[in-house]
Amino acid sequence: MAAAAALCTLAAAATTACGAADMTKQASPYAAAAGTKTVTLSVQSWVGARANTAVAKYLLEHELGYRVDTVQVDEVPAWDALSQGRVDAIMEDWGHPEQEKRYVEDKKTIAPGGDLGVTGHIGWWVPKYFADAHPDVLDWRNLNKYASQLRGPESGGKGQLLDGSPSYVTNDKALVSNLGLDYKVVFAGSEAAQITQIQQSAKDKKPFLTYWYEPQWLFNEVPMVEVKLPPYTQECADKGAKDPSTVNCAYPTTPLKKYLNADFTRKGGKAARFLKNFHWSKADQNAVAQMIAEDKLSADEAAKRWVKENPEVWKKWLQ
Amino acid sequence: MTVHTASPQVKRAPQGRDASAPHPAVLLLRTLWARPAARKLLVLAVAAAVLGPVAAATHGSGTWPSAFTVDLTKPLTGASDWIIDNRDSHWAFLYFFGHISGAIIGAVHAVYTVLLALGWAGVTAAAALIAWRVAGVRVAVTALASFAACGLLGMWVPTMRTLALMIVAVAVSVAVGALLGLAAGLSDRTFRALRPVLDTMQALPAFAYLLPVVLVFGIGVAPAVLATVVYAAPPMARLTALGLRATDKGVMEAVDSLGATGRQRLLTARLPLARRELLLGVNQTIMMALSMAVIASVIGADGLGDRVYQALSTVDVGSALAAGIPIVLLAIVFDRITAGSSTPRPARKLWATVPQGGTARTRTAATWAVAVLAVLGLARLSSQSWPDTWTVAIAGPVNTAKDWIVDHLYTGLPGIGGTADLAAHYTTWILNPLRDGLQALPWWGALLIVAALAWLIGTWRTALTAVLSLAAIGVLGRWELSMDTLSQVIAAVAVTLALGFAIAVPAARSPRVERLLRPVLDVFQTMPQFVYLIPVVALFGIGRAPAAAAAVVYALPAVVRIASEGLRRVNPGAMESARSLGATSGQQLRQVQFPLARPQLLLAVNQAVVLVLSVVIIGGLVGGGALGYEVVFGLAQGDLATGLTAGVAIACLGLMLDRVTQPTKGARDGA
Amino acid sequence: MNGNSAGTGDTTEPMTEQAQPAEADAATAPAVFSVRNLWKVFGPKADRVPGSELAALSPEELREQAGCTVAVRDVSFDVRQGEVFVVMGLSGSGKSTLVRCLTRLIEPTSGTIAIDGEDVCGMDKGALRDLRRHRAAMVFQHFGLLPHRSVLDNVAYGLEIQGVGKAERRAKAAEMVEKVGLAGLEDRRPGQLSGGQQQRVGLARALAADPEVLLFDEPFSALDPLIRRDMQEEVVRLHRDEGRTMVFITHDLSEALRLGDRIALMRGGRVVQCGTPEEIVGSPADDYVRDFVRDVPREQVLTVRRAMRPAAADESETGETLAPTTTVAEAIETVARTGTPARIVEGGRCVGVVDHRSLLDVVAGLDAGTAPDAGERTAA
Repeated sequence: MAAAAALCTLAAAATTACGAADMTKQASPYAAAAGTKTVTLSVQSWVGARANTAVAKYLLEHELGYRVDTVQVDEVPAWDALSQGRVDAIMEDWGHPEQEKRYVEDKKTIAPGGDLGVTGHIGWWVPKYFADAHPDVLDWRNLNKYASQLRGPESGGKGQLLDGSPSYVTNDKALVSNLGLDYKVVFAGSEAAQITQIQQSAKDKKPFLTYWYEPQWLFNEVPMVEVKLPPYTQECADKGAKDPSTVNCAYPTTPLKKYLNADFTRKGGKAARFLKNFHWSKADQNAVAQMIAEDKLSADEAAKRWVKENPEVWKKWLQ
Repeated sequence: MTVHTASPQVKRAPQGRDASAPHPAVLLLRTLWARPAARKLLVLAVAAAVLGPVAAATHGSGTWPSAFTVDLTKPLTGASDWIIDNRDSHWAFLYFFGHISGAIIGAVHAVYTVLLALGWAGVTAAAALIAWRVAGVRVAVTALASFAACGLLGMWVPTMRTLALMIVAVAVSVAVGALLGLAAGLSDRTFRALRPVLDTMQALPAFAYLLPVVLVFGIGVAPAVLATVVYAAPPMARLTALGLRATDKGVMEAVDSLGATGRQRLLTARLPLARRELLLGVNQTIMMALSMAVIASVIGADGLGDRVYQALSTVDVGSALAAGIPIVLLAIVFDRITAGSSTPRPARKLWATVPQGGTARTRTAATWAVAVLAVLGLARLSSQSWPDTWTVAIAGPVNTAKDWIVDHLYTGLPGIGGTADLAAHYTTWILNPLRDGLQALPWWGALLIVAALAWLIGTWRTALTAVLSLAAIGVLGRWELSMDTLSQVIAAVAVTLALGFAIAVPAARSPRVERLLRPVLDVFQTMPQFVYLIPVVALFGIGRAPAAAAAVVYALPAVVRIASEGLRRVNPGAMESARSLGATSGQQLRQVQFPLARPQLLLAVNQAVVLVLSVVIIGGLVGGGALGYEVVFGLAQGDLATGLTAGVAIACLGLMLDRVTQPTKGARDGA
Repeated sequence: MNGNSAGTGDTTEPMTEQAQPAEADAATAPAVFSVRNLWKVFGPKADRVPGSELAALSPEELREQAGCTVAVRDVSFDVRQGEVFVVMGLSGSGKSTLVRCLTRLIEPTSGTIAIDGEDVCGMDKGALRDLRRHRAAMVFQHFGLLPHRSVLDNVAYGLEIQGVGKAERRAKAAEMVEKVGLAGLEDRRPGQLSGGQQQRVGLARALAADPEVLLFDEPFSALDPLIRRDMQEEVVRLHRDEGRTMVFITHDLSEALRLGDRIALMRGGRVVQCGTPEEIVGSPADDYVRDFVRDVPREQVLTVRRAMRPAAADESETGETLAPTTTVAEAIETVARTGTPARIVEGGRCVGVVDHRSLLDVVAGLDAGTAPDAGERTAA
């Protein structure tokens, strides 16, 4: 606290003009440091989003002559950062109605950037080898039967439902209790940890039940089959919006969207237009994502390869 | 022990079996009362006997009664929303926080611009030059090689960003810390007020500092710098104060006797005499700032930390290492430069003023001028960033190596099973029973145990702080989660101490082992906590076991260092007399070294607890769950209410653990 | 001399009436420091102790009842110009506290201190600083040197504090370094010097300010015996050359006897006896002092004045003549050589004679009351 107080004096001394300073308009100190046009993109932690950013970055730098910074921010804080102009664009959003209302409708600091072209879906999945051996596991009503086989060290006596990053949208705790399942939700803590866990289980052909989503490159490596949950209804969604602990149906299918900082939309020129035009398919995204995550290529290298092979896709974005 | 002392009393009782003879039990009590430790325990036992049944009757269950909790989620969420809505309009933000944020961003921007303008050759040359002037040729070579390595790894730009952020954060931390330290060094009252605060701040996990600044400033470089300053300034303040207070009384008296004014006292004697502590403070501040700058990537600090963070999300050990190595190299260079300047070396007397006479001074000035010109010249010649063609991609080979290790160690090692089995056993046989035990423990029982531990080792005041901290966790409604975290900390600390002391004993005995260990410890102590998380996930899967493994690896160097130093520094006279009496080396260890090194060993325990807690919290990123997960969740979901509450609970837990393991220096406390 | 004896009742000085003429000029010289009824009490509400019934309590009782410790208890003395005034006592006797009170490095609890008639206790900060800068400089047991400065800069430090310009103070400091025999070591750090050399630096620093009085607080206690001897001779030489007034604190009786013109012996915060070395050794005020001086080689300290008896009729004209300040040891040598009594001559007049017996009585400590078998005992 005292440190902050002393800092204030320092800050006051630094800014000789004692006018207003709107921190929401203060850009990153690293932006435009070299005097070039700079675009800052938000990178989310999952690899699909990194694929979007990698390709956008590559094209902005090599085709349009921008300098691109990427900053890793979690989903919700990214909205705040976007609103403040600390990042210029979010390339993949899975639906945050509350933030959308606040920033897009009320404050008008964020402008919609159109669809990404990919549809996202969240659900519960089991590995294909397990589903092949026990086809009835694919109905949620039978899950309790398999609870003992799906036990893990963290789940106590119950079956383990593996969840991933805390930043992801999840109703799993509510689902487990509302559907009367004998399972415990175990959070891996990050997607990285979750993927490692899945890969290890797959290597040993062990059964597991996991929260997962598509598009996701991991399906190419570890084939998984979705477990059917009670169907998604609007009524259930409305109920969940009021009180998240009442949710008892499957996750919706979400068209993924892009968002741009409002000022950037107006003044961003070619870069803003390009980002609005950015639109590709699930297969495209997965191709890049897998090169990054599985072949361990750098994001730049993966983007370079994809760009080389798919000019017909990205040429349209530059117009 | 107590039974033993009481027995003569009991035996004597039959002889004088008259009405006035006190009951044996009374005598026993009286004997117990004579021992301070037993007295404290007796008081608590009485408290337990009275409070226990009452508490059990009214609030029967093991966990903290819900009647005593306060739900802060609503007001905190409200505050958070209000701040987000008003950040661009309210005067407090426009005229106060906005200026702070603006000044920080401006400063970082300016430093970053200068670094870019110097170019890679200029920066490298300047770093080597400074290292050479301050700490000698060897450090200069280290600096040169380190910066070159940063470039080779393809991390030049992130390194410059981290460097820019560090320079600003360290400058502010040192200034703020020195001012606070000065105040506390010169005024007893300030010192008494500030000291517990500073001590406490140093015991708190870095994660606890992130949420308050995010609440006010959002995500970005400014809050990252602020969090770094708040985290890194306390050691500077603490050491400045201690240094000023520890100045040789005799020298100060001599200075007084010559008729010095207060200002002269401070400038010509007190500050120069505290030089070692001041430089040590700068050194510690830099190291803390670096570790925080990496962690602050979670709130948008960018730079090397961000690269580690990004690599974490793709299980990319290679990339994490490529970003982690420059952090370690920066740490080593900073450490050597500041440490080198604090110990005067015979080769180049640092305290020696420039040789008298104008000519020598002009010569030095000329050398500097030439050096600066050379740096500027290099800056003009070289490009801003390290040339792309000169980089080496280590990520691929490292990942191959990692995969091989995982393939061969994860399961099915003959005899011991694999690391996965190890993790499962650790979780099932150690963590789970411990957690269940702690959670089943009645809340008032937990409070009493904490009170007993803290009181036995410290004073009633530390006990009170510890109990209040634990109670605060209950009030915040984070009892169960905290018991979970606590169980992880206790188990990991036990492992750390067992390993640490096992390594420290040979290190203290053999200079060769010590020489071999020292560089390893040096490097490991400066490693960012994030880097440890990746290999442990690869080795142990997810959950609490890998978090514990990371915590053990992180805390081990400090424990080994403190413990071995403590053992080594045991009075040689005592050791010699023990040897002359024919004590075996085991006897020497048990009867001389361990008892005499007790304060240091207790300090090692304290450090182990503090360090393990900080990593167990970060373990939330790899499935450690509990409080750490709540913070990560709060940051990730923008749910600052949850995050802040968990952050406060972490701070309380840290405070409690620190007080329970911190022996108070009785004499100093009484004074 | 009586006027400056300790003001406590238990001090009697029967011998002071016979003040030595040799010291006469010192005795009549003006007082530099004049201390009256000085008290220093440590502890809470210290100022209620002096003069109250609390003062009569034993140290243990006082600590028990008031939580106070008396370091200096009702002390009075004068330090005369040009003399070496030694305050001697064992550790805890209050001597170091006393000397610190003189320049208020420790604030006295009550009593008065005057320097050249000027009240020290009443000085404001500036005047006090001036006193410390120019009039009284101190040399400390543990040197109190600044480890980060060279020898030369340490010596010049006092002048720097006074605001003397760099060139001037360095020149002056170089002169002082030369004077204390450290020429050539100007650029060393204190840590690179031996203890004796460090104390020479401390001495040079004190001298650099050219103070009226030098205060020494056990300056040689931390040194090896041989070096201590050297340093004592250095002080004697300095005093002989410059005649500067010195107040010298020590716990070493031989040092006190060697250096002191007058000695104040302290115990438990009081001055139990104040007088010349001869008075202290020859006429101990009480058993404590007697015990203290028991092992002193009396013949080295006492003079023939103490050993002489009135001359018999035939003795006043013949035999060797000795000055009254001659030590007994020297007289023994003379008497033993000639085999006859020697005359003590002062101002051309014979004031007495010494012979074998009278000299031996002094050596044996029997001079106060003569025993018939003194000779045998001495022989035994």
